Amino acid sequence: MLYLHETHRVAGRQAAEFEALFRDEWMPTLGVSNSARLVWYLNHAMGSGPSYQVVTVTAVQDGGAWEELATRMAAGDLRDLCQRIDTCRYESVGKLLTPVPWSALQEVVFDEVPSDGRTHELSLYMQDTGWPDAPLDDYIDLWNDDYWAIMQRVPAEHRLLEIIGCFAVAHGTGIRPEAILMQKIMNPELLGHLLTDTREYDPTTWPGSYMAKGLELRDQWESKLLRTSSWSPLW
Amino acid sequence: MLFVRELHSVVGRRAKDFEAAFRQGWMPALAEGDDARLLWYLDLAHGSGLSYRVVTVTAVADGRAWERLAQRVQTGDLRAWARDLDRLQHRSAAQILAPLPWSPAVASLADVPTTGTEHEAVLYMEDTMWPYPGRLDDYVEAAGKVYAPALSADGAQMQMHVQLALRTMPGAGRSPEVVLVQRLGSVPRLVGLLTTDIPDEITGPGSWMHAALELRDQWRSRLLRTATWSPLW
Repeated sequence: MLYLHETHRVAGRQAAEFEALFRDEWMPTLGVSNSARLVWYLNHAMGSGPSYQVVTVTAVQDGGAWEELATRMAAGDLRDLCQRIDTCRYESVGKLLTPVPWSALQEVVFDEVPSDGRTHELSLYMQDTGWPDAPLDDYIDLWNDDYWAIMQRVPAEHRLLEIIGCFAVAHGTGIRPEAILMQKIMNPELLGHLLTDTREYDPTTWPGSYMAKGLELRDQWESKLLRTSSWSPLW
Repeated sequence: MLFVRELHSVVGRRAKDFEAAFRQGWMPALAEGDDARLLWYLDLAHGSGLSYRVVTVTAVADGRAWERLAQRVQTGDLRAWARDLDRLQHRSAAQILAPLPWSPAVASLADVPTTGTEHEAVLYMEDTMWPYPGRLDDYVEAAGKVYAPALSADGAQMQMHVQLALRTMPGAGRSPEVVLVQRLGSVPRLVGLLTTDIPDEITGPGSWMHAALELRDQWRSRLLRTATWSPLW
């Protein structure tokens, strides 16, 4: 399964219209097919980064289903909808993601993904995108062996987040080397602690720690705090 | 047919190794099957932009063929090759492109050379355009009707020929975005373009340059030179 990840720079005055097009047209249209489903609709939390930025993730069965969806968007039944979406944003940047072997999220069962816009509470995600200066595989292994494994040993009530999925960018669709973690914030209070933590995780003060070890493989990453809409199929 | 375009930021001291990885690794590895072929290996001409940048264009038969190629890179027989390449480049930025309705076609994959036969180096101008929101289709249509035919017409300023006209596919790059791969027929005319003001008849009312401002005003041109072994040139 592939995950079509898009970051949209939305026209602020048309933000509600943009969201409605995804909720009322994109999601239900895909919902009657066997090839694709909208799975996440996420707003970049204002106050933590760029304004009016939306991340959507659409699951597609395989490469053939993606090509079919792209053709529908360019010249088929989705063309008109895509044109209207285009008028509500400045641009979008997309990539296709594949789950790494140890990712909790591998495939979604389409029949279990709601596409009727049912509402629920909001969730906050931390999307981490990392660009190692070492081979990509080594970086993904570090995430599993030194980050996720350690985090899982923390009692649930003290755990900041859960890794929902870990992805690599499929060849030809974005940056290499790049990998992405989709992490659900389980305890917003702990997020507050993280944001106000003044410790510096340099190798001399934290030898052997994940943060110090990580510097051997990368020092460039970006965290985005993304909040699901109240109707996002996954949340 | 789909096209995987990659812009590589190459480690300068490893530039020869990087080129060899494509010439002796990627190109023959793809030639073993029917899914994909390396089409172009292009160096961004020094003196015209960023240093040590290489553009590669790989054709894949369709979406399923692309997915098989991606799996070879991620977990299959090309994984070690990709891992080695990670040490030869700082990074690469890639997109997958689909041909516009009026794009010239590439010969069938089976006809693309894979032997690395030497030939002269040829200069290309790769243009990437970002139409205004909601104007992508209008731009594509106008470029096909007006721009492309005028490029290579008798007496044209540039003597340039569109080899491929492409749009970035959703989920594989930036949108809206159009890419033109154009072969330069005359270097002196390029130098003329670079050293003189564009005349009013090219930019004034009634011209393509003028009319197209209704559809876009942001684009980027890259001057790319084929390697002497690039399958297409």
